[in-house]
Order: sequence, then C-alpha cells, then structure tokens
Amino acid sequence: MFVERLPDEGPGGQHTEVSVINTVDTSHEDMIHDAQMDYYGTRLATCSSDRSVKIFDVRNGGQILIADLRGHEGPVWQVAWAHPMYGNILASCSYDRKVIIWKEENGTWEKTHEHTGHDSSVNSVCWAPHDYGLILACGSSDGAISLLTYTGEGQWEVKKINNAHTIGCNAVSWAPAVVPGSLIDQPSGQKPNYIKKFASGGCDNLVKLWKEEEDGQWKEEQKLEAHSDWVRDVAWAPSIGLPTSTIASCSQDGRVFIWTCDDASGNTWSPKLLHKFNDVVWHVSWSITANILAVSGGDNKVTLWKESVDGQWVCISDVNKGQGSVSTSVTEGQQNEQ
Amino acid sequence: MEELDGEPTVTLIPGVNSSKKQMCFDWGPGEMLVCETSFNKKEKSETVPGCPVIYIIRKDVDVYSQILRKLFNESHGIFVGLQRIEEELTGKSRKAQLVRVSKNYRSVIRACMEEMHQVAIAAKDPACSRQFSSQVTILVLQGRLDEARQMLSKEADSSPTSAGMCRILGDLMRTMPVLSPGTTQTLTELELKWQHWHEECERHLQDGTFASSPHLESLCKIMLGDEAALLEQKELLNNWYHFLVTRLLYSHPTVKPIDLHFYAQSSLDLFLGGESSPEPLDNILMAAFEFDIHQVIKECSIALSNWWFVAHLTDLLDHCKLLQSHNLYFGSNMREFLLLEYASGLFAHHSLWQLGVDYFDYCPELGRVSLELHIERIPLSTEQKALKVLRICEQRQMTEQVRSICKILAMKAVRNNRLGSALSWSIRAKDAAFATLVSDRFLRDYCERGCFSDLDLIDNLGPAMMLSDRLTFLGKYREFHRLYGEKRFVDAASLLLSLMTSQIAPRSFWMTLLTDALPLLEQKQVIFSAEQTYELMRCLEDLTSGRPVHGEPDAQRLQDDDIETTKVEMLRLALARNLARAIIKEGSLEGS
Repeated sequence: MFVERLPDEGPGGQHTEVSVINTVDTSHEDMIHDAQMDYYGTRLATCSSDRSVKIFDVRNGGQILIADLRGHEGPVWQVAWAHPMYGNILASCSYDRKVIIWKEENGTWEKTHEHTGHDSSVNSVCWAPHDYGLILACGSSDGAISLLTYTGEGQWEVKKINNAHTIGCNAVSWAPAVVPGSLIDQPSGQKPNYIKKFASGGCDNLVKLWKEEEDGQWKEEQKLEAHSDWVRDVAWAPSIGLPTSTIASCSQDGRVFIWTCDDASGNTWSPKLLHKFNDVVWHVSWSITANILAVSGGDNKVTLWKESVDGQWVCISDVNKGQGSVSTSVTEGQQNEQ
Repeated sequence: MEELDGEPTVTLIPGVNSSKKQMCFDWGPGEMLVCETSFNKKEKSETVPGCPVIYIIRKDVDVYSQILRKLFNESHGIFVGLQRIEEELTGKSRKAQLVRVSKNYRSVIRACMEEMHQVAIAAKDPACSRQFSSQVTILVLQGRLDEARQMLSKEADSSPTSAGMCRILGDLMRTMPVLSPGTTQTLTELELKWQHWHEECERHLQDGTFASSPHLESLCKIMLGDEAALLEQKELLNNWYHFLVTRLLYSHPTVKPIDLHFYAQSSLDLFLGGESSPEPLDNILMAAFEFDIHQVIKECSIALSNWWFVAHLTDLLDHCKLLQSHNLYFGSNMREFLLLEYASGLFAHHSLWQLGVDYFDYCPELGRVSLELHIERIPLSTEQKALKVLRICEQRQMTEQVRSICKILAMKAVRNNRLGSALSWSIRAKDAAFATLVSDRFLRDYCERGCFSDLDLIDNLGPAMMLSDRLTFLGKYREFHRLYGEKRFVDAASLLLSLMTSQIAPRSFWMTLLTDALPLLEQKQVIFSAEQTYELMRCLEDLTSGRPVHGEPDAQRLQDDDIETTKVEMLRLALARNLARAIIKEGSLEGS
C-alpha cells in the first residue's frame, strides 16, 4: 500500500495547530483589563478603563452584545463569573473601590448588589467553589480582603480581613473544594464539612493562605515567602484527585513559582521556580484540568507551561502578538532554567 | 542537561501590536482568550487608543474537520472493541485479534485518505492526463507488472515495429519471481530464482534488445533496480519511500526487516539529493523503519496537528505489550497521557465529546477525574443534551456532577418560569433548599391564579415529597384538592386540618387553607366534627392574634385589611354555625 502525503492545509504547507477561531470586537473605548469566559465557553465578559463591563454571546464563532453594564466610576480591573447553578451572575471590581455583583433576571442584566467596604481600589475578585455556596473574595489596595456571602433574598453578609497584606492585596484565588475524610452521601439539606481555604498575593511580596475556622472567622494559615517584589497574581490549581495541592504565583520580580504541598504531611509548601522572566509577570492561570499553566508577562507574550516526565516545567508554546501565524507543537524537551 | 528537542513555537496574534502593551488571557473550557492590555494599572487612561478586540484561540481545530469526523467516529468503535478484548486470549489467537484491530484501523484510515484524495483531485485541473508511456512506467514503479504487461501488449498490437520488444519485456514481467502466499517455496529457493531472472534481464540489456526504444530500455533498467534509472523517474515516484519500495522490489526483494532502515536512510538521501532537508513526516517514517517505537511516538507528537494518530497507535502497542512505560505526572504511563490529551480535545466539540467519554473510561489513573472536570462544562443547550450528560454521570456514580448539573437546570427552569421542570430537577438533585423555593413559587402561583400548573408532576411525587417540608405541603395540599374534587369531603377536611396542626403548612398560607375550609363548613351535611371545628377555631384565633406575623412579611396583608377582616368574620360565623350543627349531630342518636 502506498502512503500518500495528505494535502497540506494552511499557508506555506504547514499545519496550523493553534488557530484564531473567533475575534470579538468589544468596542471598548479604552484599555481592556480583563476578559473571562463563562463556565461553558458560551459567554464572554470584558471590563475596561472606560468603566463599563460588557457581556457577549460568543457561540458558534459569533459575537452578540448582550449587556453593557455601567455603574463603576473608575477603571474596572477584573470580572468573575459565578457558577451557573446560582444563575447568571457576574462580579466586577474597580479603581472606584467598589465591587458590583450583576445578575441576569428575566433576560436582562442588572446590578444586584454593591459592596463599598474598601478604602482603596479593589484589584481582584474570585468566586469560591460552588460547593461552599455563593461566596466572593475581594482583594484591595487598602490591604484588606473582604468575603461576601449570599445569605438569601438579596442579602449579602460581609466578613473583612484587615491588613491581610501591607500596602495592598493584588490577587485572591480559592482552593478547590475537598471534603475531609470519606465522602458519604449526606442527607439532603445538610452540607458536608468543607474546610474553606484561599490564597492571596500582595505588595508585601508574600503569598498567604487563609483558612476558615469553626467559628466562621478567617485566619492566616501560612505565609509563602520566595518573591523579592510585589506578588501580582496567585492561582490555585484545580484538583485532579491527587493528594498534592498546587499554587502558582507570579511577581514584579519576574519570577513564577509553583508551590506544592503534599497533603499527607500537612502544611509544608515547597516552591519550585518555573522560570525567571526578564520583566514583570502579571498573570498566571491554570487550564481546567490543571495540566497547563498560562503565564502573561511584560514581554508581550503569553507562554504555556506543562510539567514533563521528570517534574520539570517545560514551555510548550508561546502566544505572541504580531502579524501572521505560525504552526506550534508540543515538545518534550527541557528549557534552561536560570 | 537534556538537549531541547525543538524551540517552543510561537503563535502570533494578528493585529495586536504595541511595544508598550501586554496580553491578558483567560482559559475557556476548550479554548483561550487573549487580548491586548496594560497591566500597569493607572487611573488615567492611555492616550494611545488600545485594541478593543478579543481573540479566541484554540488548539486542535481538526476536531471540527468534516472529513476527520468519520475517522474519529469509526476509530472510536475500534478502540472500545480493543479495550474489551478478552484478557484470557493468549498466544496465536490474541495475536490474530490484535492484527485484526490493526487492519481495521488501517482500513478506516484508508477510507479517510481516499475521501481527502477525492477532494484534492476535484480541486485539481482535470485536463492534465498522463501520457501512455508515463502510465506504463507508473505501473512498473508500483510493481503492478501484470497491468503493465497488458498495456504493453496493446502497444505491441498497435505498433509492429516495437511488437517484438514489447513481447520480450512482457515476458520478463510475467516471469519475475515473487513470493506467493501458500507455496512451499523457501526464501532461499526464491532468491535463487530471482537471481536467475535478474541475470536474464541484465543480459537483454547488455545485448541491446531494447536499444531502439529508450522507453522500454528505461523500463528494463527499472526492473533491474538501477538507481539512476529510478531517480530519473523522481516526479512519478513522488517521494522517497515510494522510491525505497520500488528500489527494494527490484534489487533486494527478500530484504530483512532489520535491514530496512539502511535502505530507508540511503533512499531518503538519494531522493532528496541534497536539495532539500527531511520533513517531520520523514522523521516519523525513519524512526518507524528503525522500529524505534518511542521515537515514532515522539516524532508524531511533534509533527502531527492532533493527538488522534499517536493516541490510538500507542494504545494498540500497549495492548501488544510492546510499550515500556515512562512515568509521567499526568497519566501513569505514556498511553494514558496520550489518550487523555486526545479525549480532552474531543470535548471541545459539541457532539464528539461523547466519544471522549469512552476514552476517559479506559484511563485508569486520571480518566475519571478528567471526565468529571470536562463533563461539567458541556453547555446544556437542550433538554436532550442535559439528559444525555446526566445519564453518563449517573452510570458512573458521579453524584457530585449529577447534583451540580441538576441544580443548574433547576435554576434555569425557574428563571424561565417552568416551575414543573424546576421542581423535577431539584428533586433529581436532592436539593431540599431549591425544592422549597420552587414549591413556594407554585403556591404563590396558586394564590394568584387560583389553580395549579404541572398537576401531573405534583400528583405523582411519591416519596420524593419528603425532600422538603414545603414540598410535602405542596403535595398534600394538592391531594386535598383532589379529595375535594372526588367529593370525599370528610377525608379532605381531615387532611386540611392536619396540614395546619402538624405545622407543615407555612403560616402565611393558613388564611388560604381556612378559606378553603369554608365550602366544607357550609355543606348541607356536617363534615367537620365538633372537635375538628374547635381546632379550626383555635387556628384562626392563633392566626389573627399573631398579627403582624414576625418574619413573614406580607405586603398584601397591609393593603387588604378590609378584605381580611371580612374574611375572618365570615370564617368565625361559619365555624360557629358548624360547631352548633356538629354538637347537635353528635349529641343525637342515629336516625332521630
């Protein structure tokens, strides 16, 4: 049997592996600061210095503007989608010190709650795992972290952790929900005893881990020290059923660390340097099955990293700005660590 | 330190360009978003206008290819069949099975290739047809000597001058020794015969038998495996591995597998002739000729645009026990790692994800958790799709996912005012809180409209009624209406009363219940006993004395005070009358 070469696709006879499948013109009048897909990848929320939050339906490669939400009085830094079991809910945080929670009711998006408990810009919002209920963590430049819990009938309860980070808190990220002990089917209406935890990163160069005590108060459980400058982002990896916990942190110092904790031993977190970049690293994020870490740096690139055979982190792709497109591939080699 | 196999390659996002800006991004379930931004948060906006466009990018767009879809579907069937092959089968029967699987895969691949070929040909200029001589040459190059001979004999008939030569060449073609299946001929015997035949061809060449026809002479040289002659036909050969096969057919027909890679390498070199360098596909084939499984897998992972081939190949090799595992963090071995990658890619497709489920099932380490993470992200655009997803989760006892999905659907239904649907989803999710919420909505609807929706559902709740108090009340209240409709007044009355006395009915509903009691109080015959009437009176007083009721805001109450007062008066009157009649009835002897 003769093997025939398959007809080549794409320009120059190369197989394009990473393709742009949709472009969404947001018509934001100023810099975009965040863009987030909803749970299913059908809707896109964006926020901008033009003070608006926009929501688009992006199914089937299209773009339909669903909502143009106004309410913030300053640049909006981040948006976050809540789990769909609570309905269509979006949180946004802004330089104007406010956190606004928006909800879709009867087909229209409206402001459903406004949180004004911070004295300075709110930099980061993150919804807790849906198992805990509807809880939002907010990190602010006033150094505090506030936790908003929905208690029903339009009411939100606020807990505040003052001075979580000196100078300011830049990022918050929840740990995945893990039920301690065996998972017995609880009788209906009774919630299993989750131990709620989240991580925060701040201008004190620290990553901190927080835990909810039995009395409902939040306590600082751990300090993770490795960065030599402001921590810009933290991301707690989704759970894949292994006993280890993993957190990624990135900093003004150009470093990205992967922190792991072997839960069997308890509370020892060990950092591994992913890479030292030449510029500030602003944003880290895990893919949904936690096997790829995306890192966004000041050097105009988004790089994708994967853990290889021997526990080393390998860069598998560079997503860059510019013209044209080039084929990508997955390598199993190693990158030189500095 | 290991050498880097290849630089991580770069994808350039078009249109986003600035030396001062960065890219922010987010993960979607199957894709990524990127857009231009400036992370240096300043309050004042930039004077240089930014790019307001967000790019959604995806790996593995092949999953959307129409032609490949059939390949994915059919190979899925073969894959699942392979996993289920009896482990007890050993030796020859197992080997035969595995070979059959391989052949199935190959035929599916071939079908796909033929389809692609059709598409490619359709695009080509139909006007270019080959000359006769080229056609014969191609046949000879492909070893299809019978067909070549037939064409030559036609040529012989039409052209008497070359008839003689054609016949001789045809004879040579006919007599080339080949290994036919089922003969008792040994390899050595074949080699000997072939040597003689080869020498005969050589003699004809030396004698100049075909001297007057360059075309026929060239054919003879080809059949002698003459490298130069073969290389002259580069265009017809198309690529180096065709060249390899033709070359070996006519020079080393009994070559041993372990020697293949020598000839492969030299064929590659000769064919490329230093003009071009090997391409990724070439590297894969070279590794295959060296029987270096790991290298093949590695090269495929690099060169190919999706995981389909390398995942299925590795799986088959693993079943053949030809694969020694590497230990990888993701997937305890290579096979699982590749299958997980492939299956994850399938989940990006709106219907192919169903194939992915089976692949995850056969990944013992991380398949289940990967499935859990992916299946929750499937948009539940239709009821049918939701049910499909739920069935898959339920079959695998993924109770958390079932619960989560049912809650999502219940919420969606409530938003769209489909209360019956919302109720059945909350029951399926075993979500008491939500069931209470939906039941409240039902009751509110009833108060407003005076009738129930979704009667079928409420009537047939069965044990699910116990999920929440409010739901139980809803079910029982509906039962009350049914009893009333069937004119079983005494039963209806007892039920009504018990709803209040057992505290199952929310206080906010008591007025409605008492009002429901009115027609029963005013029937000709006495329905409520004296004791029951006392109970009702107590409930009424309880209710009226407690106003305003704590924690149960009822705006209506404030507005309709007049109506309420009238109602209460009516009830008191009716109750008093009934009490009187009941006492009389109970105090009298039967028949008097």
